Order: sequence, then structure tokens, then C-alpha cells
Amino acid sequence: MKVDALVIATGEGSLPLATGTIDVLGYSPGLVSSPFEALPTFLHANPEHPYRIAGIDGVEHALAWLAETAESLGYQGGLVRNRWVPTVLGGLRPTSMLPRSMVSADLHANAHAEIVVAGIRGYRDFHPALLAANLSLATPPSGGRTIRARATEVEWPGNSSDLVPFRLARRLEEAAVRREIANRIRPSLGGATAVAMPALLGRERWDEVHRDLEGRLERDVFEVPGLPPSLPGLRLSDCLRRALRRAGGRLLLGSSAVSATRVDGEVRSVTVTQAARHTEVKAGFVILATGGFAAGGIARDRDGTLREPLLGLPVHGPQVGAEPTSPRFLGSQPLDRAGVRTDPTGRPLDTAGEPWARNLYAAGAVLAGAVPWREKSGEGVALATAWAVTGAILGGAQ
Amino acid sequence: MPDALDCELLVIGGGSTGAGVAWDAALRGLQVILVDRSDLATGTTGRFHGLLHSGARYVVRDPAGARDCARENAVLRRVAAPALEDTGGLFVTTPLDDVEYSNHFLAACPAAEVPVEEIPPAEALRREPRLNPAIRRAFSVRDASVDSWKLVWACAGGARELGARILPYHPVLALLRDGSRVTGARLRDLRGDRELEVRAECVVNAGGAWGGRIAGLAGLHVGVRPGKGVMVAVNHRLAGAVVNRCHLTGDGDIVVPSHSVSIIGTTDTAVEDPDDVEPTAAEVAAMLDAGDALLPGLSRARALRVWGGARPLLPRAEGPGIDHRAISRSHSVIRHSQVDGMAGLVTIVGGKLTTFRLMAEDTVDAVCQELGTDRRCATAETPIPVDGPHGHHRLSHRAEAFEHRLERSDGTDPLVCECEMVPRSELLAAARTHPGSDLDDLRRLLRIGMGPCQGGFCTFRTAAILHEAGLLDATRAVSVLLSFVEERWKGQRSVLWGQQLRQSHLDEWIFQGSLDLEHLPETSAPQSTRAQEPLPNGRDPLGRPLGTATAQDDRIASPPGPEPEP
Ligand SMILES: Cc1cc2nc3c(=O)[nH]c(=O)nc-3n(C[C@H](O)[C@H](O)[C@H](O)COP(=O)(O)OP(=O)(O)OC[C@H]3O[C@@H](n4cnc5c(N)ncnc54)[C@H](O)[C@@H]3O)c2cc1C
Ligand SMILES: Cc1cc2nc3c(=O)[nH]c(=O)nc-3n(C[C@H](O)[C@H](O)[C@H](O)COP(=O)(O)OP(=O)(O)OC[C@H]3O[C@@H](n4cnc5c(N)ncnc54)[C@H](O)[C@@H]3O)c2cc1C
Repeated sequence: MKVDALVIATGEGSLPLATGTIDVLGYSPGLVSSPFEALPTFLHANPEHPYRIAGIDGVEHALAWLAETAESLGYQGGLVRNRWVPTVLGGLRPTSMLPRSMVSADLHANAHAEIVVAGIRGYRDFHPALLAANLSLATPPSGGRTIRARATEVEWPGNSSDLVPFRLARRLEEAAVRREIANRIRPSLGGATAVAMPALLGRERWDEVHRDLEGRLERDVFEVPGLPPSLPGLRLSDCLRRALRRAGGRLLLGSSAVSATRVDGEVRSVTVTQAARHTEVKAGFVILATGGFAAGGIARDRDGTLREPLLGLPVHGPQVGAEPTSPRFLGSQPLDRAGVRTDPTGRPLDTAGEPWARNLYAAGAVLAGAVPWREKSGEGVALATAWAVTGAILGGAQ
Repeated sequence: MPDALDCELLVIGGGSTGAGVAWDAALRGLQVILVDRSDLATGTTGRFHGLLHSGARYVVRDPAGARDCARENAVLRRVAAPALEDTGGLFVTTPLDDVEYSNHFLAACPAAEVPVEEIPPAEALRREPRLNPAIRRAFSVRDASVDSWKLVWACAGGARELGARILPYHPVLALLRDGSRVTGARLRDLRGDRELEVRAECVVNAGGAWGGRIAGLAGLHVGVRPGKGVMVAVNHRLAGAVVNRCHLTGDGDIVVPSHSVSIIGTTDTAVEDPDDVEPTAAEVAAMLDAGDALLPGLSRARALRVWGGARPLLPRAEGPGIDHRAISRSHSVIRHSQVDGMAGLVTIVGGKLTTFRLMAEDTVDAVCQELGTDRRCATAETPIPVDGPHGHHRLSHRAEAFEHRLERSDGTDPLVCECEMVPRSELLAAARTHPGSDLDDLRRLLRIGMGPCQGGFCTFRTAAILHEAGLLDATRAVSVLLSFVEERWKGQRSVLWGQQLRQSHLDEWIFQGSLDLEHLPETSAPQSTRAQEPLPNGRDPLGRPLGTATAQDDRIASPPGPEPEP
């Protein structure tokens, strides 16, 4: 069915900051080796979790949808077992799907006899020595030996005064720069079977960059994502936007929804501002995907009041007067689960517990009940809930 | 038998008072050892408001205290200029304040030797456009912004140049006694993990709000009453000068510009335990609201972090050994030989940072009496060796230094902390001159992690760079990273709303999502024996020759420094 879809977004969203891996469930809170097996128990223990909107089937479909839609990025993986990929600090992080540029980062089963971690001197967000040292301490949770990793650092060919991610990625799209980098890494390779590099291997032409480096080094090469901004996240963001355009949808970036009119229990239109102009957008269905605290989808006032700023939906979370945080950063933070509550189909609830509007749905980080950075469920929740609510809309509209 | 050290004077407490005493005594030729349970200036001195008082705040209530402030303000402008920023100050009568008080105020200034000039409200608003437009009177005074870390390091560094030993991370466990005489102290060396004894002819208790406990180690009673005060740092300088409400004092009535932020404070509530000073949400809210009277809109500014400190208050007592030379003193020097019959111990409590030099002078005078020598104080004429360009500190110094470096560098010196513009070379230099430093120590030296991002980006970089240079092994790099993140969280918890909440959630994504700090080998598993990765003969983990970091526990250099804070 063809739907006329319009996406209104104030900013770029979290994706260009994110690692580009698709996490579904890594900790519950114990380590999860198979999200497929763990999800039923997890949902039972966390009945308010947004995954309940999608169910396991929904999560699976959503991942399949991503693999197909972002085919050009070569995403691989699924729910059956978690992948274990190095963080830029050298720990191992569980995730469900990896783009091709990271596929050989899966250290699940001693894939590599030895890894060389290759950095670029002067690039401030990748430090091979610490990464390699920590990686050498890590044991893949799936068992097996510890990992052998070594560090090397090469000079950037050319002007090294401005080593920022986008510039490095663009320069690496030039064959001459890659040849030079490969030549400088090669002497350190020894018996290594894989090379870990900062996630800077091109933006548009990442595939060429990645294959070329693998060819020149005659080793598996994988990207290790780190601090924002993140090229793997940006590539996925670019890719999903192209898919939206191909499907006939439109994206209004830099415009904000400011209010909505609701008549007889239905949202009739949304008011959008762009460059100080107000426009009424009429819609049959509305999906609220404004993100969590970081994106501004949920807000907290100084007096502790939690708000959903666009529609004024009730926010589920620590109430005024309740202790919102733990004295320890790594402790359990009640505030982190705050968000919008929905019915089982993903429609936000009003204070009486009824759908706020028949045709309003919510998806992603705006939903209550998840702590995605701890559970490792960020993109999983975003994709699965988006899949589920669009399914509900399309099903209901037929 | 623990190791032993000997000296003439042991100073307990490395805040402004103790460091001032060490500097003064060293200048008078005494052999000094200065110890603190933690790093220097991490007690009240590192958690204060940052104001070098003109004295105007006290003219009505305590004219003698005001005069001390005014005189010391003038002295410090001469001997400690680079630790000060000459912001000037304004006292303004807001609609909430009694105009009658401003008459008393103006009349009381000359007697207290406090320079003051009334200026028209319009002129005050021209200087500080964010001031409450409804102010009725305005007075210009000589307030300044003072960097307590710089000041303390300079005193300690100066004393060290004169032969003093400085021992941070050496808590006093017990005072040594020989009958009715204190002869030294037993210390724990936290970083060397051993105990040692310091034998001294005289001991100064400069423990501030902890001074009562330290006196208690000799079985003596000093009735220190810790008074908790909270402060909030908000992004940007909302005013270039210190702004004060012209009234008899209350909560949240002073805003001090400090480096790139504004600090509003403070409160005063009695607490039992000087370590129990974490601000509550209600205190923070009250503070920000109070700020609106001075700078409307302050309560909606982006609050970056909060912290509390404990005032070392001593309810007035009279006694033969309590020296109240002038009529009223806001500090007290107690010669225990005179009060309790316990020779060899002098306690200094009360006072303010502004009068630390005078407090030290009075204290060392008492020490000289204990020791039976007569030596003249020289601190009012001798410049304290504060690191930094000549003249007063200016906000632009750091940017100028950075540009200067850019001009010379080949670009291989990237910024570690963008908020505070700290390059890699500066980080390594500070870490090498302060062996064993953790990230919080380096924060005080360099201000890393103190800007709007509150360490979200620079923490990882700092730990990794120190590891790369061979200064920390991987396990310690991870543990200092973790403890720094936990430490910063304490200052953030009470300001989680609006913009700063968004920032803090981004930091959660970075630390727990992208970096997964919670599940590093070191955090999740018992420490492995492989934690110490091999550093083959003098090479760092990248195979480069190691730098020449030498471990010397009492070395204090004075790299560029910071603002007063947790
Ligand atoms: C640093 C970082 C690292 C991450 N790492 C991972 C990872 O490793 N693995 C993983 O699975 N996930 C990761 N994620 C999470 C991932 O990006 C999720 O997809 C995301 O958190 C949830 O997506 P969302 O679309 O619900 O919200 P967001 O991506 O935050 O998007 C919300 C959008 O709504 C817009 N908006 C808000 N209010 C309005 C309004 N009134 N009008 C119009 N637009 C509005 C915002 O501008 C933004 O564009 C990471 C996230 C961050 C920030
Ligand atoms: C909220 C607040 C705001 C303030 N604002 C200002 C201001 O703007 N201007 C101003 O002039 N004054 C201000 N003051 C006052 C000023 O900060 C203090 O008077 C001054 O810093 C006290 O210094 P100190 O060295 O006596 O104490 P501290 O700095 O507390 O030093 C005592 C030291 O003793 C150490 N110690 C404790 N126990 C032991 C032990 N067992 N062994 C070894 N060491 C030990 C502690 O670690 C500590 O470092 C403020 C005070 C507070 C509380």
C-alpha cells in the first residue's frame, strides 16, 4: 500500500552520533548471549518495556526490514546470537547486527589469531594502545581463549593539523591516501589476521575504502566506532533517508512540530514551524518519534516535572519529590526509564489510561520503560516499535 | 617501626590556611612539612565561592573583619596578582532590599577602610546589562575573582623551593605526644601504602572544618562548627564583575564570575560532618531563584554543576591563649600551651580565603612564640610564585596561550578538552610533574572536564593518553576513568533539567552505550594478572621510548590552574 509520508525533524537525530551497530538486547541485566532466547523472559520481567509493542516477531521483522532497506551497507546478523565487538576502550559490547565494515569485528569465537589495532597519530578519539591492552584482557563471553591484540600508530600522510572525523573519512576515499596508510601499517602486521581501525573509512564510498584496505593489507579490516560524531551511524542515517525518498516520502529537516489539534479523539493536524513560518499539516495518522531526553522528546523542569513538550502527553517516570537518580553514575537511575506510556498497539495514553487519540502512535526513545544504553537495545527498540506502529497504521487503514 | 621524618614545623591541612602557613614559615627560615589527607586544596578551599572580598560585605556587621579583608585585598593584588582576576564588584540595592541598609553601608565603608564609590544605577546597567533594571542604588567596590587552586599551589611550591616538604595524600592518623607536649604525627601514605612518623618541634592544626577532629587526636576540644554552603555554576559569564545584593547577607546573594562560568552562592546551615555537604535539589532551586533578584533570568540559565563546602566556624570564645589582638577577628589562633597546657600545638580556625595571608602571619607568630624565636613575617612584601603571565589573570589567557601554541606547532598537539582548550602536551606535562595523579587531580590542574560537556568527551581521551605515554597501566587507566565519571556525576545530579539534562543523557549514551564502561574486563571481572601489560625495557605500549617521568612524591609544580570547585 502506498502511503504519503512526511517526516518532520528539528535535528539530525541520534543516528549520526550512534555506533551504527544494531543492538537488540545485550544485558538483562545479566549478559545475554541469544536475544531470541532471552526476550520472552526479559519481557516477562519488564512488562512495561517498549518491546512489548512489537513482540519477538516484530523485532525479527524489523531487523529483516533493516537488512533489506540498508542492503547497500551490508548489515549482517540477527537475533539468534549476539555479536561481541570491541569498543574504542577495548571492552567487548554485545550487538545483533553489524554493517559490512564491522562484520569481522565479531570476536565471538576467536575469529582472529591476533589483531593489530592501527591508529592515526594525532587523531584524538582513537587510542590503539589502551584499546589493545584492554582487548587483551577480555575473554569472549562465548568462551575460548583471551584475545591477542597489539597496537600501532601511523603518521597521517599530509597535513596533520586538523584531524577531524569527516575530513579524515573524505581523504581516505582517495586511493593515494589509502595506499600510503596501508604502507605505513604493513610493517606492523606480523602474524596478525585482522586490523582494527578507527571508524573513519569513508562516507559515501566506504565499501571501496574498506575492500581496498583489506586487499592491500591482506587481512580482515574492521572499524571500531567511538565518540560522536560517528561515520557508521551517519552512513545508516544517509541510507535510511535515501530509502524514504525512494519510497516517495518527504523529510522536512530543520522544522519543528509545535502543537496539534485534536477533535473528537483524533489528531486532525500538526502545526509545524520552519524559519519562523507556521504551517498546518493535515494527517490521517501521526507517529511521535521525537526521541528521549537527549533529543528533546522528553523534558524535565527544574522542579522535577516531567513533560512531553509537543503534545503535553503524561510522562511516566519519577514524580516530583521522588528521588530521580542514584548517587552512583553506574547505579540504577529511575529517571532513565522515563517516557510516554502506550497501549499494546503503541498509542500514547492520557492520564485516564485511555489512548490520547485514536490515530496517534509513538515509537523509539520517546517511549517509557527502556534503558537502552545499559540494556544495549537502542536501535532495536527504535526499529521494532517503528515497525509495529506502522504495521498497526497500515493494518488499520486497510 | 614506621619511617620517620624530622622538621621544625609540621602543618596539618593543605588548604589555603595550611599552605599559607607553610609559605610564611618557610620564608621565616623554618623547616616545614605540610601534609593533607587528600590533594592540596580539596577541602573547603577547593569548594568555595571564588571571591576575593573587598570587605564591603562585612562593613555593617563586622567592621574589623571588613578592614582585614580590605587590607588583605590590597596586599594580595601586589603579591599574588596572577591568581586574581580584577573583575571589580558591584553592590546593588534590588527592589527586595531595604534602602535604609544602603545608607548604613555607605557610611560604614570609610571606617573599615573599604574603598567604595556610588554610581548611578544607569551606569551600573551600562557596565552590566543583565543586572536587574529595577535596582535603586549601586556601589562600585574592589571585589575580585580568585583562583584558590593556583594560590595554594603557589604557596606550597614557593615553600618547597625554600626547602619545605609537601606531602599530599598523607592523612594524619594520630598525634604523637610526650606528656603534655605534642611532638609530631603518625601519617598514612595513601599512594605508597605505608605509615610514617613526622617528628616536629611544633605542629599547626590547619584542618579547617576538620580542625576539631584533629585537635581531638590530642584529646583537646576545639568547638568547630562546620557550616555548609552550596554553590551552582551556570554556563557563561552573566556579569563581568562580582555582583552582590546590598543587604545584611542572605542566601544566594552573590554571583562571582570565574573563568568561563558564573557561580551563584551561597547558603549557611550547620552540619555535624564536614564531609556531608552534598547539595539538595531544594537548596539548588532556592539558590537559582534567589539569583533572579540580581540577574533576572539566572534561574533559567544552564546550570552546569553544583557543589558544597564546609565553613570552619568557631563560635566566639574568650580565653588567655585565644588571640583576639584586634577587637574582632573572624579567625582564631589557639595556642594550646596557654589554653589546655598542651605545648607544641597551635590551632588556626575560622577566617576566609581572602584573609589567608593574615591568618598565616598570626599563626606563625604564635608558632615562633612556642619555639621561643623571634622572626619577622615577610609575606606582605614577597610575591608568591604564582604560575602564569605577569599581571592579573584575564579570561583570554588560555585562548591566547592556545593560539600561540598553534602558531608554533606542527599540528600534532590535538586538544584533549575542547571546552577548556587543553592540548595533549599540557596534559602530559602536568601528569609528568605530578606522578601518580588521577583524573580529578589533573582536573584541578588543567580544568579538564569542567566545561559544558562535563567530561563526556575529554575523560576517555585523557585516560587513553596517559596510558599511551606509559604513565598509567590499562587497569589503572580504566579505574581512574571510572572514578572520575562517578565524581563528576555527584556535581551533576542536582542540575538534571533543561539543557544540562540533555547533555547528561548524551554522556550516558557515550559512557554506557558507546564505551560500555560498565562491562570492561577490569570493571566486571576480578583483576587479572595480565593487567600489567609488559612495558619492555623503557618502551611505552606503542614501542616508543618512555619519557622521563620521575616519581617524587612531594613534587609540586604550578601549571596553569583553575577555579575553585569539586
Ligand atoms: C551517542 C549515542 C550512541 C548510540 N549508540 C548506539 C548503539 O551503539 N547501538 C544502538 O543500537 N543504538 C545506539 N544509539 C541509539 C540510537 O541512535 C537510537 O536509534 C535512538 O536513541 C532512538 O532513536 P529515535 O529515532 O527514537 O530518537 P532520535 O534519534 O533521538 O530522534 C528524535 C528526533 O526527533 C526530533 N524532534 C524532537 N522534538 C521534535 C519536534 N517537536 N518537532 C520535530 N522534530 C523533533 C529530534 O530533532 C530528532 O531528530 C546511540 C545513541 C547515541 C546518542
Ligand atoms: C560555601 C563557602 C563559600 C566560601 N566562599 C568564600 C569566598 O568567596 N571568599 C573567601 O574569601 N572565603 C570563602 N569561604 C571561606 C574559605 O573558603 C575558607 O575559610 C577557607 O578556604 C578555609 O581554608 P582552610 O585551609 O582553613 O580549610 P580547608 O581548605 O578545608 O583545609 C583543611 C584541610 O585539612 C585537611 N585534613 C582534614 N583532616 C585531615 C587529616 N586527618 N590529616 C591531614 N589533613 C586533613 C583537609 O583535607 C583539607 O584540605 C567560603 C566558604 C564556604 C564554605
